[in-house]
Amino acid sequence: MGERNFNIPASGYLEALRRNGVDHFVTVPDWVQLGLHDRVERGVEGLSLVRCCNEDQAVCVSAGLRIAGKKPVTVVQNQGLYACINTIRAVGLDASLPIVFLVGQFGREFSNFGQDPSLSSRNTVKLLEPVLNALGVKFWRLEDENDLGRIDEAFAYADKESRPAVLIVGSPTGWN
Amino acid sequence: MNLLQACTVIEGARKDAVLVATMGAMFAFDALKAAQPRISSVPLMGGAASLGLGLAIAEPTRRIVVVDGDASLLMQLGGLTTVADRQPANFVHFVARNGAQFAGAANLATPAETCVDYAGLAAAAGYRRTYRFEDEAALASHIDEVLGGIGPTFVELRVVTPPPIPGAPLKMEIPDLQFQRMGMEARALSAWLKEHAHG
Repeated sequence: MGERNFNIPASGYLEALRRNGVDHFVTVPDWVQLGLHDRVERGVEGLSLVRCCNEDQAVCVSAGLRIAGKKPVTVVQNQGLYACINTIRAVGLDASLPIVFLVGQFGREFSNFGQDPSLSSRNTVKLLEPVLNALGVKFWRLEDENDLGRIDEAFAYADKESRPAVLIVGSPTGWN
Repeated sequence: MNLLQACTVIEGARKDAVLVATMGAMFAFDALKAAQPRISSVPLMGGAASLGLGLAIAEPTRRIVVVDGDASLLMQLGGLTTVADRQPANFVHFVARNGAQFAGAANLATPAETCVDYAGLAAAAGYRRTYRFEDEAALASHIDEVLGGIGPTFVELRVVTPPPIPGAPLKMEIPDLQFQRMGMEARALSAWLKEHAHG
């Protein structure tokens, strides 16, 4: 068996977003997802890029798009999610809008890839899942290409339950 | 002018534009019985402009009218450039400037009230048109131009600060509706937009 590859290709993410009907990529850029950002910046048919200054704005823009019948994905990193908790509370929990996030695990040690993030020595990594649990926000880990189907699960859950859903991007996306 | 007078002018000209209001303006539009299409950013200071931007991107042929507060705008000042980056032609952003946080309750001074230029900030951020009105007659005489022109448009409204209510938090419990209405209005607005879809 070959070595496990943790770098999910950007093309894999884009295919998953396409089959889930995603039409807007609303983002504050994330180091972990630079491969995906690079691809989206170069233009993807049917996917409109919305650049935001911070994550509060990204969540609210996504909410407006959702209310008007569009299907955005909100792309941020773990630090950004921490920064916009009150907006998630208002828009995702109180108003029950199905905001779906891709959240990069910025700062994760390479040795922690594929392991339990709670074993990371870095707060920015190990606090993400406990914070989401405290908020009551469901999440899915994306560790390798075999996990891409979890993107479909997250969108289906968000649509059905009208709740926010978080996909945790565990390691840098590939440029392929 | 006071906030209710300003909102009366806006509501009188809004027609089927989507209203996104927050804080004091939200209550003023409630007093005016403003109906769908509308949504309130509550309790969420700073969210109105970005919520409106999402609507403006999704509904490019429909006017989106955001009525923000000065303290709310200050919380998301970078949001001016988020709007400007998309240059939504259908986006009108009013900011009611009363120079106070918890206006009508405690009237705590907003930062930089003596020197900040909101319309100037919006212009520098990249809004296409900016206006500043201090009296109701001037706003009323320009409202069709403001709402009808190509945006993004920013309008600074100088409104008087209502007198404070001493001990307001001791007397006024925040009602459940304050935490429920954004969701209720989001669902109602979604339904309204589907029913009134532009061909």
